[in-house]
Amino acid sequence: MEQHSGYHEKTLPADLSAPAFVNGWRSRALIIGAVFSIIGVILGFLANDGWAHFLRAWLLGFMISFGFCCGGMALLMTQYLSGGKWGLLVRRPLEAMTRTLPLVFLYFLPVGIFGVSLKKLYLWAQYPDTENALKNHLINATQAHSIHFKKPLLNPVTFWEVSIFIFASWALYTFLLNRWSLQRDADSQPNVFYWQKRFENLSGFGVVFYSITLTAAAIYWVMSLDPTWYSTVYGLQFLVGQAYGVLALVILTLIGLSSAQPIKTIFRVTEQHDLGKLCLAFTMLNIYLAFAAFLIIWSGNSPEEIPWYLDRIRGGWGVIATLDFVFHWLLPFTLLLSRDLKRIKRKLVVVCCIMIFARCWDMFWLIEPNFKDAARNLHFSIGILEYIFVPTGLIAFWMANYFSQLKTRPLVATNDPHVAEILEPEHAHA
Amino acid sequence: MPIQEGTYGLLAEFDTPSELVRAAQSAYDSGYRRMDCYTPYPVEEAAAAIGFHRDNVSLLCLLGGLLGLVAMFSLETWISVWAYPLNIAGRPYYSWPAFVVPAYEWTILFAGLSAAFGMLALNGLPQVYHPLFNSVNFRNGATSDKFFLCLESTDPKFDVAESRVFLEGFKPVSVVEVEY
Repeated sequence: MEQHSGYHEKTLPADLSAPAFVNGWRSRALIIGAVFSIIGVILGFLANDGWAHFLRAWLLGFMISFGFCCGGMALLMTQYLSGGKWGLLVRRPLEAMTRTLPLVFLYFLPVGIFGVSLKKLYLWAQYPDTENALKNHLINATQAHSIHFKKPLLNPVTFWEVSIFIFASWALYTFLLNRWSLQRDADSQPNVFYWQKRFENLSGFGVVFYSITLTAAAIYWVMSLDPTWYSTVYGLQFLVGQAYGVLALVILTLIGLSSAQPIKTIFRVTEQHDLGKLCLAFTMLNIYLAFAAFLIIWSGNSPEEIPWYLDRIRGGWGVIATLDFVFHWLLPFTLLLSRDLKRIKRKLVVVCCIMIFARCWDMFWLIEPNFKDAARNLHFSIGILEYIFVPTGLIAFWMANYFSQLKTRPLVATNDPHVAEILEPEHAHA
Repeated sequence: MPIQEGTYGLLAEFDTPSELVRAAQSAYDSGYRRMDCYTPYPVEEAAAAIGFHRDNVSLLCLLGGLLGLVAMFSLETWISVWAYPLNIAGRPYYSWPAFVVPAYEWTILFAGLSAAFGMLALNGLPQVYHPLFNSVNFRNGATSDKFFLCLESTDPKFDVAESRVFLEGFKPVSVVEVEY
């Protein structure tokens, strides 16, 4: 029955390391990173705005890279808890994402140093003396009140303490998740249940802990750009947004790797379809949270809350908001509804690229209108071009780091019962 | 409707889905078209093997969903703007954010109902009689642990003797001739 060889069980190739073309990806990422960063720096000089837009764009690039790195950690822990064959497939790419944490911390430093300590980014860091700032009309009464009232939370010392603490705790999780994973593969097969329990115990608490620390991070790094506004669902929106971006990236990675061994053997259409379905779920959850937050604030119609949205809708920003809806939900949702699309690699790649682009677009809509010169006034300046070049540079360098990490380990975790299942022909569910 | 008599088809019984899919694929490759696979749980590859054809349930589901969306959104707009314009907290009559949630729920409701009833309308259920239940092994195994391939007599290529030989080539547990 030669013509039906597809029905027989496959075997795992002997060499599980990443194919050589990943080096090519890395060089390409490094070239893109270098070119875009140089243009970004040149624009920084040309913009003549005291590097304000450069720093805002840096924050955007940092938040996206951070989302891939730590969102990858969250998804890694989630797959240990949920189980499933898709989890085995994405495990090593997600581990590679988590190991970029040092680079992400490096990206954070300018935000902390220039943004907070040198008072270039955050209003609350700029005007700690609210009374004088109000008197000199540098801030309005609402801002003065908010900065004064939130001082125990929004001050440079707490900012640094919280940021360092959360980075340190994520570093610990990254270290354990990566170390145990190698130890598990080196261990013998009968001990696999011990390891499963161990990972479950680490991840169960880890997912909750990450949700809380991510909320703190999102409040400090992005939400506090506008000290007057608050939303309790903000952290959760970042959590879902990160999973949305990470899923898109991990599918792109797997499809890219699937042209060569070992991913070629283990990446079946069934699991590709499953990952596509997860994307659809996160697309829905994302719009659900974003629209629910908007609807509640719209219904309340309170002068304390609505200015945040008005800053982001009026003065041309409505176009950005509408396109955010189109990129973030309408396009991925309508495309991912199709069963065929999720099973055809070439088409799924397009959707994943749209999804990652949408994350950056959304972050632009969240960050830029916080600033006085941009709120309710979308206008062109040389500075705004920084949003194209600086984040692309940062994300490209992050990608290069991610590809290097991908090369350091076998691409398949072998000490797992799912390995045998994933090598089975696709229809043998019995 | 005249009473149908004679052979409905030949029913081959298999123990594993792999054997079923292999037999179904070969039957399709040798030109059989009027046939069906019966499994205790969905085996997508079996459907693919006998020439998976697209049904219109997903299209009905999509159209139902869109109909629900448009119907509810229009209803809300008509009520708020023309039929009973009320000043609610000074908002415009056409306040679309408030319309989204009911419109979304009708989308889900209509899509779900269209999928369920569309499926029933297109697959011929509920059906009070099916010839295959005349076969004892089918009655006992089709919903628990057996996998069946039935070559139907309406197929132009069907011949009781030849088709039986063909099926027995796949080493099935049994091949049974089923009467109408």
